[in-house]
Amino acid sequence: MGEEKILLKDKDFAGAEDIANAKDMPGSKETSAGAKGIAAGAKGIAGMDGSKTNVVISGTGVLAKTVRVSKKGDELYSCSRCGTCLSICPVYKNTLDEGVSPRGKLSLIEAAANKTLPLTDKLSQKIYTCTMCNYCTKECPSGVKISELFRAVRQDLVDSSKYPEILDMLKDKIKTAYNITFDTNQGRLDWLKQIPGITLSDYVKDTAEVVYFVGCVSSFSPRSFSIPRAITEIFKRADVDFTLLGEDEWCCGFPLLSSGMTDAVTSLALHNIGMVIKKGAKLLITSCPSCFHTWAHEYTELTGVKPDFEIMHVSQYLLRLIQEGKIKLNDISVNKAGIKVTYHDPCDLGRNSGIFEEPRQVIKSIPGIDFIELDTNRLQANCCGGGGNIESLNPALSSKIADAKTDEIFATKAEIVVSACQQCERTMNTALKRKKGEIDYKVKVLDIAELVLQSMNAEG
Amino acid sequence: MPDVIVRVSSAEQISRIMRFANLEKIPVTPRGAATGLSGGCLTVNGGISLVMVDMNRIIGINPVDLLAEVEAGVITIDVDKAASKYGLFYPPDPGSLKTSTIGGNIAENAGGLRGLKYGVTKDYVNALEVVLPTGEIINTGTKTVKSVVGYNLVDLMVGSEGTLGIVTKAVLGLLPAPPARASILATFADMLDAAKTVRDIVAAGVITATLEFVDNVTINAIEDYLKVGLDRSIGAMLLIEVDGQQGAVDIEAAVVTGVCNDNGALSCKQATSDEERNKLWAARRAALSSLARIKPSTILEDATVPRSRIVELIEAVKSIAKKYDIMIGTFGHAGDGNLHPTILTDLRDSVEEAKVEKVIEEIFIETIKLDGTLSGEHGIGITKAKYLKLEISEDAYQLMKRIKKAFDPNNILNPGKMFLT
Repeated sequence: MGEEKILLKDKDFAGAEDIANAKDMPGSKETSAGAKGIAAGAKGIAGMDGSKTNVVISGTGVLAKTVRVSKKGDELYSCSRCGTCLSICPVYKNTLDEGVSPRGKLSLIEAAANKTLPLTDKLSQKIYTCTMCNYCTKECPSGVKISELFRAVRQDLVDSSKYPEILDMLKDKIKTAYNITFDTNQGRLDWLKQIPGITLSDYVKDTAEVVYFVGCVSSFSPRSFSIPRAITEIFKRADVDFTLLGEDEWCCGFPLLSSGMTDAVTSLALHNIGMVIKKGAKLLITSCPSCFHTWAHEYTELTGVKPDFEIMHVSQYLLRLIQEGKIKLNDISVNKAGIKVTYHDPCDLGRNSGIFEEPRQVIKSIPGIDFIELDTNRLQANCCGGGGNIESLNPALSSKIADAKTDEIFATKAEIVVSACQQCERTMNTALKRKKGEIDYKVKVLDIAELVLQSMNAEG
Repeated sequence: MPDVIVRVSSAEQISRIMRFANLEKIPVTPRGAATGLSGGCLTVNGGISLVMVDMNRIIGINPVDLLAEVEAGVITIDVDKAASKYGLFYPPDPGSLKTSTIGGNIAENAGGLRGLKYGVTKDYVNALEVVLPTGEIINTGTKTVKSVVGYNLVDLMVGSEGTLGIVTKAVLGLLPAPPARASILATFADMLDAAKTVRDIVAAGVITATLEFVDNVTINAIEDYLKVGLDRSIGAMLLIEVDGQQGAVDIEAAVVTGVCNDNGALSCKQATSDEERNKLWAARRAALSSLARIKPSTILEDATVPRSRIVELIEAVKSIAKKYDIMIGTFGHAGDGNLHPTILTDLRDSVEEAKVEKVIEEIFIETIKLDGTLSGEHGIGITKAKYLKLEISEDAYQLMKRIKKAFDPNNILNPGKMFLT
C-alpha cells in the first residue's frame, strides 16, 4: 500500500495529559490527582484555528489501518466533539475522564496519527478502556463509525506492539488450545460429561440438521454450564436433530477481533465453518451473542466464504420452537401471582445484531410472567460492564458499570432478570451479589434458555 | 492546549488555585462538559484547564420556593429529572442538555427550544456561589422572587463566558410542569408562508412553547438519512408545541391550526398520542445529524433577529449561499428569531475555508442590519470575537474591558475570549 496523504488539524488538546502529569500542582492533593482528562475541544468551528498540518502516513506504519477505515481521515475528521457520546458512554460516565470518552479517544487517535502525540503505553491503555458496547456509534450525530475506528486502531497498536500484555496470553491460549482458558480443548464437553447417564454419541453426531456452537465461556466456565445444559435438554425434548462439535469447536475468534488481533482469526473461522459443513447442517445456533455476531457478521468478510447454512442465536430458535408448538410452556407464577421479570439486552445481540424482539417474545410467551422493561433497553440499553475485555483489563471500572446496571434492575423491582449472554449474566450476577444488602428481596439472573426450561418443568 | 488539567471538587480548592495562578500569572480556563459552540472552554495560551465535572451534587430541591440548589458540574438534564419528582421542571433546554453542565449553561447563558415561552438560562438563575479571578469566594443573589440590593452581579455573571468568575454553585428557578401539551406539524410549499405563520401565531396571541422551523435543504438531508417519507419538494415545515392546562392547550392548538391553514399550509397534523408526537419530532431531532453527515465539517451558526424580521434573515442566508455556491441548511427556533444556518463544507480545503469565512461575515452583517444579534445562545468565545464590534459600540466595548479589569486585574481567567485586544 502506498503513501496516503491526509490533512489533519492540530488544534486539539493532544499531549495535554502527558504535560499535565509532568508537574504537580501545589496546594491540595486532589488537584493533581486525576488530572488525566484529555480535553477535547469544540472542533469544526470556522475561524477557530486556521492552523493545519499536512500529515503523511505511510501505508504500513503506525495507525495505517485506522486511516484506511477512515478513508483519508474523513471519519476521524467528522467528529465535531459535540459531546453526545459523553452522555451515554459507560466508561466516561463512570470515570468522568475525557481521555477515555469516545470523543477523547478520537482526539487522541487523531493526535497520534498527526504525530503530535507519541504512541505511548498510556495512550494505548486509554484506547483499550472501552467495553465495545457500540452505543456511541449508534448515537453519534455525525455518523462517525467510532467502534470500527477503535477496532482498527487496536489493530494498529498490536502491529506497533503497544497493547496490554494480557492479550498476548489470550492469543497464545487460543492459538495453542483453540479456546480462551488454560484447559486443553478436550475439555469442551466437560459440562456434558458430568451429567450422569449421558450417552455422548447422542450429542456429538456425524451429521445433523442443527449444529449448536456452545462457545468458550459456556464450555469451560462451570458457572455457565447450566446454559448449554438447558439448551441441549430443550433440544432433546423438542426432538431437534442437533449435534455439538466437541473438541472440533474452536474459539470463534471474537476476543482476538475486539483486541485488534484480526489476522489470527481467519484460520479459526475457516476451521469452524468447515466443521459445520462437515456435519451437513442447515442451521448453526450459538448461545453466546459475541459468537453469533462473529459468525453472522465477520466470518464471511474474513474468509471470503459465504456458508449456505442459516445462523441463529438461540433466542431466535427458541421462539421458533415455541411458535411451532414443539415445546410446552407452563405457568411459572407462584400462587397465581405473576413473577416480575425484566430483560437485559446484550450489546452484541441487541445493538450490534439487531435482535431485540425475539428474546422478549420468548419471555412474554411464558405464562405467569409480569414483564417489565429496564429503564434503558433495546438500542439504548446500557452495557453490563462485561464487554471489550474490560473485565480483565480494568476490573474496578467494570464493576462500577455493572453496579449502575444493578440500580436499573432494582428500579424495576423484578425478581428475575433474564439475558441471553453468559458474559452479561455473570457480570450482573457478581454485581447483584455485591449489592444484595440494598434490597429486601432476591433477584435471580437467568439465561433465556434456563427460563424456558424452568417453564417447561413447571407443573402445568 | 493546557499545560495542566486539574479536576476540582470544591470552591476552596479553586480559590487556592486562583490565588496561586495570580501570583504566578498562569491563565486558568474553566471547563464543564465542553459542549459549547464558541470555544469558551478552550485554553488559548496554555495554563490550567479547570475541569468542573466532579462537582456534580444536587444539593436540594425546594418545591415550595420552586428552587433547585446544585453544584456547577451537574448535568442539565439531571436538574430537570430531580425536579420532575416534585412535578416541577427546569425550563432551559439547550440541545446538549444530556451532556452539558449547569456551570457551562450559566457561563454561556444557554438557550434552547423553549425560549419563546420560557426564556433562557438567565431567567432561571437566582443566586450563585462564585470564585472570583482573584480567589475570593462570594455568594450573590437571593432565594427570593424579588430583591433589589446592590448591583445585580448574578446577571453579570450569567453569559460572561467564564471571564469574570468561576461559578461553583447555583440556585436555579423551577416551574410546575405543564399538565398538557399539543404538538402540531405543518408543511408549506413556500418557505415564506412558514415564516409568515410564525409571525401570525404570535400576533394571534399564542405564545407557543416551541416553534421550530426546518427549511427545504434540511428536509432533504433528513429524508436522505432517515427516509421517513417527507415530501422533498416542500419549502419548509414548522413543528409547533403549546403547553399548559388542558383547556388552554385545546384553544391554543385550534388557533395555531387556523393560522397555519390561513397561510396555505399543505398539511397540518396534530399528534394524538406520545408515540405520534415522537414521530413528529423525529425529523426535527434529526436535523443537525442529517446535515452533519453530508460534509466533513459542519458549522452551526447562531444569528438571531427579532421575530418580525425572520423572513428577511432567511432570504438573506439563501442569497448568500447562492452567491458563494455553498450548502447551507437552515433550521431552528423560529419563534424567538434564533435560527441556525448550518454551513456544510470541508474546512481542510483552504479555498472552502476562505469562502466560509466570508459567508459567516456576510451573515453577521445582514443580521446586524436586521436589528439582530451575533449570537442568540452560543456566545462569543473565540469564534466570534473578531466580530464583536459589529454589534457593540467602542464605548460599550471599553466599558466591558474595564469591568473585566475590575474583576480580573491580571487577566488570568479565561483570557483570549470575547475580546481580541
